[in-house]
Amino acid sequence: MDFEMHYTEEQEKFRAEVSAWLDVNMPPEAVRPVDEGRKPPGLSDAAMSLRRRLGAKGWLCPLWPKEYGGGDLPVEQAVIIGEELDGRHAFLPYDLGVILIAPAIMVWGTDDQKRRFLPPILSGEILTWQVFTEPEAGTDLASLKLRADKEGDHYVLNGQKTFIGSDYRADWLYTLAVTDQNRPRHSNIGAFIVPANSPGVTISPMELIAGQNKNNIYYDNVRVSRDQLIGGEFDGWKVANSTLELEHGGASRMVEGHFVDLLLAYCRRATRNGQPLSKDPAVRDALVEIWMGAQVERLFNWRNYWMRTSKIPWSWEGCQTALFRKQSEPRVAHRVLDILGPYALTTDPKLQALRGEIENQQRMSIMSHPGGTPEAQKIVMARRIGIAKTRQKASAIV
Amino acid sequence: MDLSLTESQQMLKDTIRRLMERECTATRLKEIEASDTGFPADIWESLAKIGLVGLSIPEEFGGGGGSYEDLGVLYYELGRACAPTPHFSSGVLCAQILVEAGSPAQKAELLPRIASGDLILALALTEQDFGWEADQVALTATKQGDSYVLQGTKVFVPDAQVAHKLIVAARTPGGVSLFLVDAGSPGLSVRNVTGFIGGRLNEITLDSVKVPASAVVGVVGGAAPVLDLVLARSAPVLAAYMVGGSEMAFEITRDYAGTRVAFGAPIGTFQRVQDHIIEIVNAMDAARWTTNEALWKIDNNKPDWRIGASLAKAMASEAFTTATHHSHEVLAGLGSVKDHPIHHYTTMSRTLYWYLGEPKLHRQKLADLLEL
Ligand SMILES: Cc1cc2nc3c(=O)[nH]c(=O)nc-3n(C[C@H](O)[C@H](O)[C@H](O)COP(=O)(O)OP(=O)(O)OC[C@H]3O[C@@H](n4cnc5c(N)ncnc54)[C@H](O)[C@@H]3O)c2cc1C
Repeated sequence: MDFEMHYTEEQEKFRAEVSAWLDVNMPPEAVRPVDEGRKPPGLSDAAMSLRRRLGAKGWLCPLWPKEYGGGDLPVEQAVIIGEELDGRHAFLPYDLGVILIAPAIMVWGTDDQKRRFLPPILSGEILTWQVFTEPEAGTDLASLKLRADKEGDHYVLNGQKTFIGSDYRADWLYTLAVTDQNRPRHSNIGAFIVPANSPGVTISPMELIAGQNKNNIYYDNVRVSRDQLIGGEFDGWKVANSTLELEHGGASRMVEGHFVDLLLAYCRRATRNGQPLSKDPAVRDALVEIWMGAQVERLFNWRNYWMRTSKIPWSWEGCQTALFRKQSEPRVAHRVLDILGPYALTTDPKLQALRGEIENQQRMSIMSHPGGTPEAQKIVMARRIGIAKTRQKASAIV
Repeated sequence: MDLSLTESQQMLKDTIRRLMERECTATRLKEIEASDTGFPADIWESLAKIGLVGLSIPEEFGGGGGSYEDLGVLYYELGRACAPTPHFSSGVLCAQILVEAGSPAQKAELLPRIASGDLILALALTEQDFGWEADQVALTATKQGDSYVLQGTKVFVPDAQVAHKLIVAARTPGGVSLFLVDAGSPGLSVRNVTGFIGGRLNEITLDSVKVPASAVVGVVGGAAPVLDLVLARSAPVLAAYMVGGSEMAFEITRDYAGTRVAFGAPIGTFQRVQDHIIEIVNAMDAARWTTNEALWKIDNNKPDWRIGASLAKAMASEAFTTATHHSHEVLAGLGSVKDHPIHHYTTMSRTLYWYLGEPKLHRQKLADLLEL
């Protein structure tokens, strides 16, 4: 076993190249904000610009083939790019095209669709949102109702989606819709790439407690051409599951989160009643508990990354990782509240801890639902373990 | 990065798996449990025959020269089988103490016989003020001419009943020292400790036990760093056993949930039951990967290997106990029947929970190591 990435001299040269390129091409404003819901001015444009430049260079999706807008680079170089971006706290705009949607198109799209859709997504020219959830269809996604009625070589879409996207405007809406009202569940759905500027699409922002602001999307007689349908007319459920497989932890990365390191450093530094917080026995134990959880999450991510890049078929690993994170975030927030009391809750410039990172973690910790609730992860895990009514293998991913 | 086993490790794993499935069956486990000393001579011999007793002993002393990762492979499989052998006492702890601190003569005389399985050693460390630090040792060794006289009691020592020799930690002027003591020495008696215990735990009484000065292992008064090093490095090996045990608890529970029918459906289709099994899987995998990383860190001399070791032992202790607990929830009545193998895993999980330090102790160590 080997738990380290090893870089050759050649690869270290590549790192220097990436670093020098970022010195020139990364706008200084394109750094991760504490709270994505409250972006400082200038960040959005800077992040978009960084994305386009990375895309043009083939470094946005370094592992993908060049013909589809990727970089055709080996895993090590992809990790180097990730590490260099991470080291600079680089921030890229919200887009699900690259990590979730392109892989599904790769599995289910026709050759023509791959040529049309993949290069713009993977080279960062356009932004894509995942448009699945409806007011009456969340966990039970297959009960979705948005209609896609066939009219000649077009479909006409009507209905509503919710909790979608961010405040970066999407170009494409990757939309699930019912293509036949009479067919049974799971075989009545199509997956469409709908241009966001289609007549009849209305996007209206929601206000959320943390993170990106989401939208309601209304479809009012939106006409979509047949060749925008990924996979067969009734394959939408399978197509969506390739996406969900990745969303449930499959798209894991090697790069680590920094929150726990920051928290530990803060508690070594901050004093209460004349001694460092980290000398209080209860605080020490809480910090170690948080740190241990972070190690497990890191190792689950490494395992998944290794399995995916080595093409080892998997079972419950993806949803296990998502579940672990979704369960540990609220626990961490709870412990941090023990440790810091009211300081954990404030963004007051004078009183806040870690420039508001701590407060942001408190908010984010109540949002374990995107990509499936913890219960939904458990449902999938039980299937993969082989004990549920439904026996299910992992969906096709690339 | 490559988290797979090497080809030879995979072969080793398959070999041990087959051996254990053949020889360490549920019936055999029950016989061993009911036997006098709890020592499975047949399994021990089989392990020795293919060179596994001395797996981590250097080749120059007749061992296999294996790495910690290799030991991990062995211990996953022993743990899956819940094999109650003195391997950890003899082939890991005592062998490593001798490798680290033994005199050339001690190494040459003892290590090859440990590796062949002919000689079994056990480490007598813990006492009434229970703990894993040398400074918790009160048993005394008093110099008398060319000899030392040992006086005191050790408790909760595994494998003392089957050991031919003990390495006894004793207080000498200037610190704690280690002594090789023959199990048959006059004044030494071993008693079995009964209870909800996996394998065997013993109490050892040393009443004026006389050993020659040549019985000292390492420097007089210098046992603390040796014990500290060997115990810390061995913790992830024990953790591997606990991951293996968790894995078997998982498989037993999963299979039962798939076949036991209630209210017209296999119980595995109930979400409440699924929750138990998911808890097992998550605890098991958390322990598996922290353990793998710890073993790798030791083999590769990573400066933070002690962090990895304490993390692994804490996670594995939690995992094995959690796994068997949730297994009992799913097996319900069946799990409490002595004929069912799960209870071997349960008692073993509770016993290994504190062995080489319970999670609380390792969390304290982690707090120190993380400079909190
Ligand atoms: C910040 C944020 C971002 C999001 N981003 C997107 C996005 O980009 N695209 C998109 O399409 N959607 C998005 N979503 C929607 C998200 O996927 C849904 O919120 C999620 O799937 C849960 O659906 P729901 O909120 O309707 O809850 P419900 O499905 O109504 O669930 C309510 C409760 O019932 C439980 N439950 C439901 N069914 C079962 C069952 N069978 N067994 C046990 N328990 C069950 C759930 O676990 C939950 O506890 C986002 C949501 C949030 C909050």
